[in-house]
Amino acid sequence: MVAWIHPGFVIFLGAFLIPFIPWRRVKLAYFLSLPIAGLALLILTTLGIFGSIPLWPQALLKWRLPLMQYTLVLGKIDKLSMVFAYIYVIASFCMNIYALRVKNDWEHVAATLYVGSALGAIFAGDFFTLFFFLEAMSWAPVFLIWFRGTRKAQGAAVRYALWHHFSGACILAGIVIHLNQTGSLEITHLPWGWGGEYIGYHLMLLGFIINAATTPFHSWLSDTYSEATPSGSIYMTAYTTKTAIYCLIRTFSGVPLLMWMGAIQAVFALFLAVLENDGRRLCSYHIISQIGYMVAGVGIGTEIALNGAISHALCHIIYNALLYMGAGCVLVVVGTAKFNELGGLYKYMPISFWLYMIGGFSISGFPLFNGFISKVMTIEAAELIHNAPIYLLLEGATVGTFLHTGLKLPWNMWLQGRDEPPPHLRAKLKDSAVNTPANMLIGMGILAFLCILMGVYPKILYDRLPFPVTFVPFTTTRVFSNMQMFIFTFMGFWLLRKLVLGHPTYTLDTDWFVRIAGQKVIWFCEKPLMAFASFVDAKVMDLVDFVVWASRNPAVALRIKREEVILGMKRLLTNPAHLTEKEQSLEEKRRNYPGELPKFSLGVSLFLILLALSLYLILYLMSLS
Amino acid sequence: MIHMNMLRRYPKKLFWRAYFIGLAASLVLNLVWLRTELFHYHFSFQYVPEFFAVFGLFGCMLLILIAKGMGYFIVKDEAYYEKRSRN
Repeated sequence: MVAWIHPGFVIFLGAFLIPFIPWRRVKLAYFLSLPIAGLALLILTTLGIFGSIPLWPQALLKWRLPLMQYTLVLGKIDKLSMVFAYIYVIASFCMNIYALRVKNDWEHVAATLYVGSALGAIFAGDFFTLFFFLEAMSWAPVFLIWFRGTRKAQGAAVRYALWHHFSGACILAGIVIHLNQTGSLEITHLPWGWGGEYIGYHLMLLGFIINAATTPFHSWLSDTYSEATPSGSIYMTAYTTKTAIYCLIRTFSGVPLLMWMGAIQAVFALFLAVLENDGRRLCSYHIISQIGYMVAGVGIGTEIALNGAISHALCHIIYNALLYMGAGCVLVVVGTAKFNELGGLYKYMPISFWLYMIGGFSISGFPLFNGFISKVMTIEAAELIHNAPIYLLLEGATVGTFLHTGLKLPWNMWLQGRDEPPPHLRAKLKDSAVNTPANMLIGMGILAFLCILMGVYPKILYDRLPFPVTFVPFTTTRVFSNMQMFIFTFMGFWLLRKLVLGHPTYTLDTDWFVRIAGQKVIWFCEKPLMAFASFVDAKVMDLVDFVVWASRNPAVALRIKREEVILGMKRLLTNPAHLTEKEQSLEEKRRNYPGELPKFSLGVSLFLILLALSLYLILYLMSLS
Repeated sequence: MIHMNMLRRYPKKLFWRAYFIGLAASLVLNLVWLRTELFHYHFSFQYVPEFFAVFGLFGCMLLILIAKGMGYFIVKDEAYYEKRSRN
């Protein structure tokens, strides 16, 4: 048997070579070959070259490193990690194609490191390894945002780092408490309860749900993804949140709290999406909403629900990357993704439009597109546990998803009932049907093909899920109800289409509390705290100056101070005009200070020394008693 | 390229025709199939005639209207945070 090669490490370490390849074509070929190498390794793993993969939940453990009395497992291979890894590398290949025109090599490095560390987290068999890769994953996107170069992007990058380091700290604290209680680092299903003894698990869950952008901690996602570079944001849509979902599936499946949080989140994000003016922020709210299905699936925790959550996470990677690419195309070609500035682009970018629409149909859950085969599985799980509110929330989210990604976004970006875009955008477009760079269309095309392939032939995905799938997605009931719902959603949209036009506004989100609190803290530090500090500083310096001044001639200094006090009192009682003479004499004394120093005889000096010594003796005796 | 230019026309008429045919078909088929074995639902409310049509239409409209109401409180100027941090 051959030793296993970790695909994540190949990609992770391979990233550092990219900037050192001098020929651009070779560099790009190398950049594209990294995910292909990863895919090849995964195929070899599936074929059993490195040992056969046992059935869930057993795993093939590879790459074990001893660390103190623990063992770090870098390669835990089971059906769950394999299916995630496959989609990660395939999506990464399409994203790399989309990003080929990016001039900044370091953006490629950051993106590749990000993909590599995501694979590292997927294959991690113990919590320390997982934590290491999650931390690596929280750094790489910071650069993907930073490289946009705008001031807003820099702020967003810092906020991204802050959120993810907070969640990282929570996860680490949880891991340490878990290790302390159980002595084991292995990633297993963790216990759940509300008592104080579960505090470590509460922290760990908090860390994971922040990473998964679960309401009310979702706002970092819409805030930062929309500020990243057009191609960098594509990578971000896929990995951080889905890895968090993966962690939740491993550790906290079946926690009822998650079921409710997920279902509420799926709908809540849609309300904010209605008010959104930026195309990429709107898609971000849809990531949040779709994550709601996965979190709800994890919370329901039955086999079909977990299968649903996993397949939805994987389909979501594909179609959401496609949606973000569509919005990114417009951003790259005309320089804006704001609805109020767009419209009428269809004539100039019809291919991007239709490829985007495939993503839109997928995310909405149209039959024969991949969102349908995964979404209905989670909804079916909610029906099977007979929980009507969860079912209605998830089904309602389907309506809202179609309204926004299937109707509002394409309408506002490409159509708005106009045949021509506004003149300042028209100036940036060639008079042709293909304004989008070819590499972007190829990247989108492959993803669109995958959306349809998985939608038409779901077995390709279902066979790779950890639990056996008996579920049949295409029943008359489901196909019919979904289609009827979409037809009438369209009617609702058409009636109210004037209300969903874009306006140049900014919609506040739950991060308002944090950001305003942060601004207040900074204001408090800069204004009152600094004023107080400089006040204390000035007073201390005054005192020191006075002591230095007085010690030069204490007798005269005392006299001057006494006269100052007397003069001050007299000024209160008599006419100040009478006191000018005295003031002048005091001023004279000040000027002559320290003046002639008094000369002491030897006896006086000895007396002073003895006085000081006896004072010291008295103090000493007092401290003894 | 002729085929590329054909793409540039936006198939409005075709779309509307297909839409209304689909709409009428869905309304009729729902009534015809509702009590047959073709439909299998888990909750009793799903058997209400045209439940999904009403759900889709009103769900969509309520979503927009409620969000617009929320917008009264949370929609701000584009440079909201920048302005606040400057003051």
